Order: sequence, then structure tokens, then C-alpha cells
Amino acid sequence: MLELIDITKNFGEVKAVDAVTLRIHEGEMLGLVGPNGSGKSTLLRIMLGITRPSSGKVIISGRELREREWQDLRKGIGYMPERVTFYDNLTGRETLELFRRVKGGRPGTTDEILKKVGLESSKERKVGGYSKGMRQRLNLAQALSNEPNLLILDEPTSGLDPVGTKEFYEILWAARERKNLTVVLSSHILAEIEDKIDRVAIMKTGALRAVGSLEELYSGFNLPLKISITVNGNNAHLVKLLEKEGAVGIEYKDGYLKAGIPREDKIRILSALMDEKENFTDLSLREPNLEEVFFGVH
Amino acid sequence: MVFTDAMRAIAQKELADKLKSRWVIVIAAAFAVFTIVISYFGGATSGVAGFRRMDATIASLTSLVTYFIPLLALTLGGGIIADEHDKGTLDIYLASPISVGELILSKFAGLAIAITISTLAGLGVAGLVLLIKLGSDAALSYVVFMLNSVSLGLIFLSISFLVSILFSERAKAIAFTVFIWLFFALIYDLGLVGLLIITKGSIGNGIFSMLLALNPVDVFRMLNFLSIGELSVFLGLASVELPVYMKTPVLWVLSLLWITLPLILSYRLFKRRYLA
Repeated sequence: MLELIDITKNFGEVKAVDAVTLRIHEGEMLGLVGPNGSGKSTLLRIMLGITRPSSGKVIISGRELREREWQDLRKGIGYMPERVTFYDNLTGRETLELFRRVKGGRPGTTDEILKKVGLESSKERKVGGYSKGMRQRLNLAQALSNEPNLLILDEPTSGLDPVGTKEFYEILWAARERKNLTVVLSSHILAEIEDKIDRVAIMKTGALRAVGSLEELYSGFNLPLKISITVNGNNAHLVKLLEKEGAVGIEYKDGYLKAGIPREDKIRILSALMDEKENFTDLSLREPNLEEVFFGVH
Repeated sequence: MVFTDAMRAIAQKELADKLKSRWVIVIAAAFAVFTIVISYFGGATSGVAGFRRMDATIASLTSLVTYFIPLLALTLGGGIIADEHDKGTLDIYLASPISVGELILSKFAGLAIAITISTLAGLGVAGLVLLIKLGSDAALSYVVFMLNSVSLGLIFLSISFLVSILFSERAKAIAFTVFIWLFFALIYDLGLVGLLIITKGSIGNGIFSMLLALNPVDVFRMLNFLSIGELSVFLGLASVELPVYMKTPVLWVLSLLWITLPLILSYRLFKRRYLA
């Protein structure tokens, strides 16, 4: 659908994006993760054709676009910037109607979109009286107002409380169910998006450090599995056993013994533990989470 | 360029903002009151209060407009792009299927209509009073004065857009517009008077008129003085005879250039600043 090839963007001496190559597949939900200042927003702006790369190519449908063609392409793109306060003097409905017209959305769809994002009852209120969560819903509404094929969301839940975040993703899922929507979502809150994305692209200091599904990244980077053991009494024996079997990052806290175990040693370590089952009451084994993948990628 | 629905939406939003906030009506009322007061008391320095001949009235009103309209137009548009940047809405516009030129033109159109309505309404109401008191003999000169005033507003609105793009923070942009106003409304002409004094008047009328033409406020003054048949332009204590080529059509072209050039520069600067 959209392909970035060896994209670099310099702002003076600062290299905001460093030789990024990334392909976005139709219908997928791609998470672009990285700390603040890692170049995520700049990369999103390059995807939108707002910012020109210093070098590299943005390929759409097999070719580079001219400026006028970018304008046409944007008819099918919805963009939700990270921080938008909108116009305090306009109502929610007036705001969305303005952006629907600017983005070339179908006439008569404003109320329908406001209903979808849960702003129907407050659509005649001035945006100046909206909460942060309501403004973010309105922000999503404007991004959806032209019924896009590609939705680009920059830190969409930044500043939202857990309830607001949950509601936001419910609205997004509903939009994806109605249409085969491709979504690129940037975030630095890894735990929030890890169960929602199809693939993840990890950015650090402007460079793309890893791309793939979480499963691909787990196996690709051979990150250790996470084991948690509910200890029954003295844990010294179990610690010694785990050390001997090659476990890493062994920690004991509040009756739980936690460690990372190499994938290839999983069966052997579990068998060894079963021989010591009188020393624990329970154990669980899980894949590393996105945060652990993120910190495991250099 | 076709004025698309997207452009109409942006222009309508800008105009509606000014109508809803009563900006247009307040400015129109202020124009009407000031115009009538100045028309009545314009000759008070000579010890006479009352409505005078239309040409004298227009000469007095020209001074009012040269201070009032540029300040109004500069503050109207001075924060227009900086505001969108502050609110984060600029990114939404940039990610929309409209070009930078369309964005700037539509915003300009909305505010241009607002300042045109308030100028024409304010000066128009005062004009009706003058028509009743002075008769319709010089009505055409007054209509030309109104159109020149609109043109001056559009010139400074255009300059304000350039300022708004130069500064990405509204407060800085507005502060700079006040400087621009001071420069064109006061400092520039003071500088020219100073130049006349220093050179003891040896600077030719041709060069001096060209220097006048570089200031849109002076272009406005010249247009008005020409429309009432006054061939010299008064700059404080100095009086300058205009050269023969400095006719109304030339000054209209200069006005048009003063409207278009800042907008073209705004377009180029915007692209460098926000799309680089």
C-alpha cells in the first residue's frame, strides 16, 4: 500500500529519521513505537506527504507522487495529530462539518460520524467546554470524516485516562470492522497497544530497529521466555537450580521468583523444576511483552 | 483557481468567527462614529465646528483611516497561521487534500470579506449622513475613498499573513504587527520628512514619489488626494508635488501589488517553514 525506502530526514544537524525502510500492508494495523523524540511523528508526516524527506523515496502504488498527486491521495487518508485543541468557539458539529468539507468527505455524514464516536449528545456544545477525552474523540471523528482507507494516528491516547483509552480503541475497532482500514498508530505506551496491533515497528534515535509481528520479534531476537514461580517457603534451592540450568535475570520478590529462560532450554528447565515441585505451589510461563521486546532491541 | 468547497468552508469559518464575535459590527460602528465625529470636528482647529466640503472631509478622514485600518487589518490577520499552529489544527489542514495556496487564499478571503463589510458598512453609514448634510455633488469622491480604504485594509491584511507565517507564536506575531503598523503609519513618513530636511529639498520629486509609493499608506494617501483633485501630498510639514505619471491607475496597480506580493511571499515562506 505504502512503502518507505531508505528515508532520511535532517533538521539542520539533527537526523530526525535515519535510513528507514518500511512497507505498510493493506488492512493491517501497524504500531510505530519508540520513546519521545525518536522520529515517529516526523516519519508519520513523511507518510502523509507533509514533510519532504532529505533523501529516500515514498512509494505509493509502485511509484513516487508529485505534489498535486499527494493532494489527491490525501482524500483517502485520515490523520489524527497528537495534540489538537480545536476552536473553542465552534460546536462539535460545526468543527466536524468544517473538517469534513476541507477533507472532501461525503455531505450529510457529519451527524453519523459524531454518533459513531459517541459525541451525538454533545454535538451542539462548544468545543471549549469539551474534556480532553471528548476532544480526542472529535479528533478521531475528523480523521474518519473522509471515510479513509488509511488512518494515521499520532499518539492517539496521549493524556487519556484508562476508561477514555478503552473507549477510544472500541471506537477504532468498530471503524475497522465496517471497513478494511489500514491503521498506522504511533505510541510510546507499549503495554497499551501490544494486544491491538498486527505488526510493530520499533524506532530509536530516528532509526528503525526492528519490524515484524510480536511473534516474529520474539523468535527473531531470541528473547528469553518469562517464568514466574509462586514459592512455597525457602527459595534458595530453586534459585540455585535456575542458575544451574541457565536462567537469566533471576529475581525474588513477595513470594514470587521471576526469571528469563532461554527458549531452547524450556523443556529441560521445566522438567528440572518438576523434580522440585514440593518447593513451589504454582508456576506460569509467558512470552516477553512488547516492553521487554523494546528494551531487548538495540 | 477554482474556489472549491473546502476553500469555501475555510473562508466561511473565518468570516463566521468575526460575525459571531461581533467584530464586524463593532468595527463598523466605530468607523461610523469616528467618521462622523471627524467630519464634524475636522475643522475645529480653525475655530469652526460643523460639516465642511467633501474634499476637506475626505482629507481629514484619510488621516483617520491611515491609522485605524492598518492597525485593524494587521491585528486581524497577524495571528491567523500561528493560531492554527498553536491549536494543532494546522496539521489537519496540511494532511487534507488542499494545497498551501488554497489554504492561505481561503483564509485571506474570509478575513478580507470581514474587513470589507465592516469598512463599507461603517464608512457607508457615515457617508449617508454626509450625503444628507453636504449634498450628492462629491458623492463619487467619497465612494472612491471608501474603495481606497478597503484596498488599504486588504494590503495590511496581506502583510499580516506574512507576519503570521514568520512567527509561529501568536504573541510574537501580534507584537511584530504593531511594529509594522508604527513603521508604515509613522516612522516611514517621518524618515522621508527627515530626508527632505537633510537634503534641503534637493532630492527630486520623482525619487521622492517613488519612495512614497513604497509605503502602502502613502499610496492610499496619494489615491485619495488625487480623487479630490489635490495634486500635492502632505507629509506633516512637507508638501510634495506628485509627478505626472503618478496617476490613479498606477497607484491602483501599486495597491494590487501590495496585496498580492505579501501573499505570494507568505505562500513561499509557509512551504519553507512548515513543509520542508
